[in-house]
Amino acid sequence: MNRIERLRILLILFLGLLTVRLLHLQILRGAFYRRLAEQNRLRLVPEQAPRGLIVDRQGRVLATNRTVFHLALIPQELEDLPFVLSHVSSVVHRPSEELQTQFQQERTLPFIPVTIVSNVPKDVALRLEEESWQLPGLLVKSETLRAYPLGSTAAHLLGYLSQPTAEELPLLKQYGVRARQLVGRMGLERLLDQALRGQDGGILVEVNHRGRSVRVLGRRAPQSGARVVLTIDAQLQSLIEQAFETQPGACVILDPHTGEVLAMVSSPSFQPEAFMTGDADTVHGYLTDSRTPLMNRATNGSYQPGSIMKLVTAGTALERQIITPATTIDCEGSITIGDRVFHCWNRDGHGPMVLRDALMQSCNVYFMTVARRLGLESLRTGMMRMGLARRTGWLLEEQAGTLPQHHVMPGMVAMLGIGQGEVLITVLQSAVMAAVFANGGWLVEPWVIRSVGARSLVPSRPRHRIGWSTETIDAVRQGMIAVVRDPYGTGHRAYSSLISIAGKTGTAQTPMPGRTHGWFVGFCPVEQPRIAMAILWEYGGSGGDLPAEIARTICEYVKVTDTLSTQPENRRLPLVHEIAAPAHP
Amino acid sequence: MSPSLKSSQLWDPLLSLAAVTLVVMSGLAMASAASTVNNTLALRHIAWTMVGMLLAVVIGRMNYRRWSGSVGIAYGMSLGALALVLLAGAVRLGATRWLSVLGMSVQPSEFAKLATAWLLARYLTGQSSPLPTPVVGWSLLLIGPPTLLIFIQPDLGSATVFLAIWLGMMLVAGISHRALMTCGGTAAVLAPIGWHLLKSYQRDRLLAFINPHADPLGAGFSIIQSTIAIGSGQLFGRGWFAGTQNQLSFLPERHSDFIFSVIGEEWGFFGCLLVVVMFGLLLSRILTIALHTSDPQGRLLAVGIFSWIGFQAVVNMGMVMGLLPVVGVPLPLISYGGSSMVIVWIALGLLQSIRRMELSD
Repeated sequence: MNRIERLRILLILFLGLLTVRLLHLQILRGAFYRRLAEQNRLRLVPEQAPRGLIVDRQGRVLATNRTVFHLALIPQELEDLPFVLSHVSSVVHRPSEELQTQFQQERTLPFIPVTIVSNVPKDVALRLEEESWQLPGLLVKSETLRAYPLGSTAAHLLGYLSQPTAEELPLLKQYGVRARQLVGRMGLERLLDQALRGQDGGILVEVNHRGRSVRVLGRRAPQSGARVVLTIDAQLQSLIEQAFETQPGACVILDPHTGEVLAMVSSPSFQPEAFMTGDADTVHGYLTDSRTPLMNRATNGSYQPGSIMKLVTAGTALERQIITPATTIDCEGSITIGDRVFHCWNRDGHGPMVLRDALMQSCNVYFMTVARRLGLESLRTGMMRMGLARRTGWLLEEQAGTLPQHHVMPGMVAMLGIGQGEVLITVLQSAVMAAVFANGGWLVEPWVIRSVGARSLVPSRPRHRIGWSTETIDAVRQGMIAVVRDPYGTGHRAYSSLISIAGKTGTAQTPMPGRTHGWFVGFCPVEQPRIAMAILWEYGGSGGDLPAEIARTICEYVKVTDTLSTQPENRRLPLVHEIAAPAHP
Repeated sequence: MSPSLKSSQLWDPLLSLAAVTLVVMSGLAMASAASTVNNTLALRHIAWTMVGMLLAVVIGRMNYRRWSGSVGIAYGMSLGALALVLLAGAVRLGATRWLSVLGMSVQPSEFAKLATAWLLARYLTGQSSPLPTPVVGWSLLLIGPPTLLIFIQPDLGSATVFLAIWLGMMLVAGISHRALMTCGGTAAVLAPIGWHLLKSYQRDRLLAFINPHADPLGAGFSIIQSTIAIGSGQLFGRGWFAGTQNQLSFLPERHSDFIFSVIGEEWGFFGCLLVVVMFGLLLSRILTIALHTSDPQGRLLAVGIFSWIGFQAVVNMGMVMGLLPVVGVPLPLISYGGSSMVIVWIALGLLQSIRRMELSD
């Protein structure tokens, strides 16, 4: 059969080609390859790609790389081990015997370098590199480590790096990760790990018997990881962290018009570098600390809101026309629902109150009454409109919080109106809630990554209307202004002569008797809000104390510095009649 | 019984010589290659070889035509097994080509190659020549599922083997030039899409082939090291077990895909030429069996087996010598791999059966 014979011819052709190639490799060039193979004269020098930098909105560096140097010996290139060891030991000031022991313990295959001294100073490394021609077998290795110049600042957002586990390695290997490389865990280091890692390169060199490079056989240039720009203001972040000191709590600062996160603080914090340097004691400390420093309290903690919920109750009630800004409710110090008596925090009673006063003095009776009139369904709807009990669209991990389900006792409805009972929210949600009153009725989606490399990650439609009338918003805002400005306001501690601040305090009772969460949410400056904020003092006490102080500090910083200089067009608060289209296209 | 019947019970002497020589060389090379990896590897390799040869002898005594009815089921089962592999891979979060059966690793893609070739042979039997277009279409549909399932694993190398099997069988069954051009043209058009579907490391391997020195650390590394190893063997090689101390200790896959490099380094030109010649002999005898049989199905099956073994042999050796990109195709009868060894021996057994039935008719 002709066709089959054709296949035979094809076979002979291909095998012939293989034979020709063999002749070329083994006969023609055999001696060359033999030489290369014989002295093991190929060395692979990997060039690690620098991990991408993470910077804040002004370009201040939050995460970078630093080079460390190690000294190693290559067994098969050593000619005079004692000489090399004594020279090295005199330079690094360590006994020669110690280095020798290290060398002998760690050596494996003849061509694999054995590290004898880690982390030598740069000048030592450079000096030995220059002298290495006299010291055959000595290798000065460099390694880049991740460094966080601002220490524990923004640690929860940044995350940390560690070595891949045995299970992960096979999967990650196809993407270029080798066993001793570091991968991102937690936070942005993890989320953006691939982009940050870049691509390692390397050189394949032919070396002579002294280990000097004779010829470069091939090179692949390393590709740096992408540079990540955040919306965070590192100075503001740092300032707030210092204000918290070691108190547990959290704080979120947003731009109320765009949703950019300018600061996200969770206290206590941790040092990301500890995970990388293998500082086992510190890491263990973090993991077992009952104060959970690794937890991002701003997004992953759920807390009773307490009185800050009154803002939502107020808005919902105004929208439903249950009350108007002029409606008067009498506070006599307590209210009886069913067979239970609920006290206002002022046991003598505030007297007849309108909305503005009720917010200013945080009258429980007023809002419990309003809540009962609203009923559970309306209250729930209003809260969900404000983004509560739902994730905000945040890129990293977050909790959604909870609201009570559909059938509760009347007393519980009243409690819900003042933010107590089966309701839990996150600090991030409360910042978004504060932003609603700052920007005139828009629910923003918080975001923190401005760009990764050349790619912009600015969201195109960062907000949508919650549908409350401008009168409603204004009425609540009046109350919030009074909270701070009026000497009787619960948040008067936040008052500053430098900048106008509006807000609401909260002192939320928790299941732990006698221990309350302190809240402050608000925005500033009032005329043209540039930031919205939420501050939580976990089990700290009253919202009118530390949280209000921190709020003032933050707002004075905003006044003094040009925080939003990169976004000048967003400083303007849309005027009432202009609320028709978003400020961003 | 006529005397010719007795002689037909014996295997084709040249084919047997070639096959046995190859496995002997394999055993020697494996002892060296496996010594730094795992002590039991060489023993297991020999064990699988024995199993394969035994099966081949048994199958050789049978009538292959009795099973041709069940080939469809075998094909279906292999597709099922391939689907299971993908699921297992999804669970293990990584590339996988194996299933774990009773503690052993089984590679369904090998079985699929034989089953598909036979099914295709059955389908093409009795078709007129030049093949009508629908037949060509259906034949592509037949090899489509296994090819795709294996490509997704991801295993580019084994997927291309199916195309080689198809092409070889098509050429013999009588595909028209025009149909061939059309298929070739379509493949060229679809190639960019296929490129897109490849994982980045597979692309890197293909790019490294074009210039291995551009990527000395990744895919290029294997090619450079393997080429040096083979070249350094010169005329008579550096001796048995010499490879463990030298160049190839750098090489990760020396006992499987790069086993030919071990032969090159240790046995030199003499060893490599012997392997090439033995494969030539083996494959040529397979074609002769195809030529002499009057059963069209048997002929096509033999051609399919020829294409399969021939393609893998040429591609593996070519890859190891730096002539072709690294695509992970084992060298038949020589590379480590129980599934591959056993299936190839089963195929040789079938060829013996075809030959025997022909001679005794």
